[in-house]
Amino acid sequence: MTTFIDYLLGGLGSGAIIALMALALVLIWRSTRVVNFAQVGQAMFTTFIALSIQTWTGSWYIALIGALAAGAVLGVIVQYLVLRPVKRNDTSGAIIATFGVLIALQAAAGMIWPGGSQAFPQPFNNSGIEFAGRVWPISIYDFVVIGITALLVLGLTLLFTKTSLGLSMRAAAFNPEVARLSGVRVSRVLTFGWALAGSVGAVAGVLVAPVSTISPNSFDILLVFAFTAAVIGGLDSLIGAISIGVFAGLVISLVSGYSDSGNAPVVALLLLALNLILKPEGIFSHHKARSV
Amino acid sequence: MLTITDLSVNYGAVQALSSVSIEVPKGEVTAVIGANGAGKSTLMRTLSGLVKPGSGGATVGGVTITGRKPEDIVRLGVSLVPEGRSTIPELTVEENLRLGGLWRDKAERNSTHAQVFDLFPVLAQRRKMRADTLSGGERQQLAIGRALMSDPRVLLLDEPSLGLAPLIVTQILELVSRLARESDLAVLLVEQNAVTALRVATTGVVLNLGKVVMVGSGAEIASDEQLRHAYLGY
Repeated sequence: MTTFIDYLLGGLGSGAIIALMALALVLIWRSTRVVNFAQVGQAMFTTFIALSIQTWTGSWYIALIGALAAGAVLGVIVQYLVLRPVKRNDTSGAIIATFGVLIALQAAAGMIWPGGSQAFPQPFNNSGIEFAGRVWPISIYDFVVIGITALLVLGLTLLFTKTSLGLSMRAAAFNPEVARLSGVRVSRVLTFGWALAGSVGAVAGVLVAPVSTISPNSFDILLVFAFTAAVIGGLDSLIGAISIGVFAGLVISLVSGYSDSGNAPVVALLLLALNLILKPEGIFSHHKARSV
Repeated sequence: MLTITDLSVNYGAVQALSSVSIEVPKGEVTAVIGANGAGKSTLMRTLSGLVKPGSGGATVGGVTITGRKPEDIVRLGVSLVPEGRSTIPELTVEENLRLGGLWRDKAERNSTHAQVFDLFPVLAQRRKMRADTLSGGERQQLAIGRALMSDPRVLLLDEPSLGLAPLIVTQILELVSRLARESDLAVLLVEQNAVTALRVATTGVVLNLGKVVMVGSGAEIASDEQLRHAYLGY
């Protein structure tokens, strides 16, 4: 039983990171009906930028803020360069285009930051906390990750429910035509959404880098988990992305603990398949059904 | 107030509107009636900026509106209530209303909000509820309320009677015509249901296959039996 609890605790930090990446996917899906597979590429790229900033300034906080800003800028660039030229309503074309962006970003990162995997410095103590006579599988850094995730989720919730911009974003996502007739500048609002998703993904990247390494492909597996969480959560639900994201982190930790970490992606895909068979619209979706 | 001059709209090779000219004065309801496919919705969508005109155009108080984006046209004082009770079901009543005037100065917006609640008391009662919990008539009131939140000079109503019980249609249209008189609003009402529309309209315009075939007072059109048979089908 203690092992079980240990595995659960050990999965919280990675669950929070998966939740953030899933959240970034959902933010784009809600407003454009496109799954942005370039999201992890953008996060990888901005994490490299963060690493450069960290090496240069020595400050993790400045690196985090730099990644936030770079994530927003890169999100807007991806929207302008890739998704705007793709014909409206051609969502499959747009999704393929996001794969193109992913590959381009990975190639570019390999050229700009050569040398394969690089270690991202530990900003906080990442060894288990000693408490009540034993070492727990959760670190100060895990608490920082969970704290930042919680703050971001709180901030986004306030943005969406309390501000005019948030109302415009929701209206533009649910019904762009009525939003425009009401005076919402929908294309501007969409661009803001890309910037926001870019920043959220960038935070996920900076948070995951110290516990793995950073290389052009190092976040690919994060995409698998985040995509699974986003789809199971219903793709258009922020709450779904967060809760299933955290849940995925726990499941992965349990699977890795009781068997082998190599089995985690397989379990994720099994859960995804099971979800698509049993409840294809996702657990938290507003919509009745989604064709698979 | 709203002047439509020689407006033509094409969908590919199909001419949906050809040289339509209509004058919509303030303080009155002007009804455009005609069968399915007469071009009524195209007219509304063009005036609100969702469809680009081929030639001709429309002005409001002398300012050209056609060819602009919907989000700019609503800022010039033209507000559309689209066909099919276009509220956003996932948002609350309050949020649907707020959406209608987000760009406006907060104090002005709040005063319009209060007026809309006076006009439609049921919306005030249901303000915290999601729009999809409302009845059809309530949702139509919400759609009109949202359009009024932009404090328009011209209100465009596209088939407000669609799917509503006759009694509710009468109540809503009478309220709209009172609103036109009291707030000096120019109302352009598009309806398939000619009888109901002509009852509240000062002027009726009959549209057939994209052309204006008759303009007259509501009573004149309602009593023209030949016209009724030919274009309105009753």
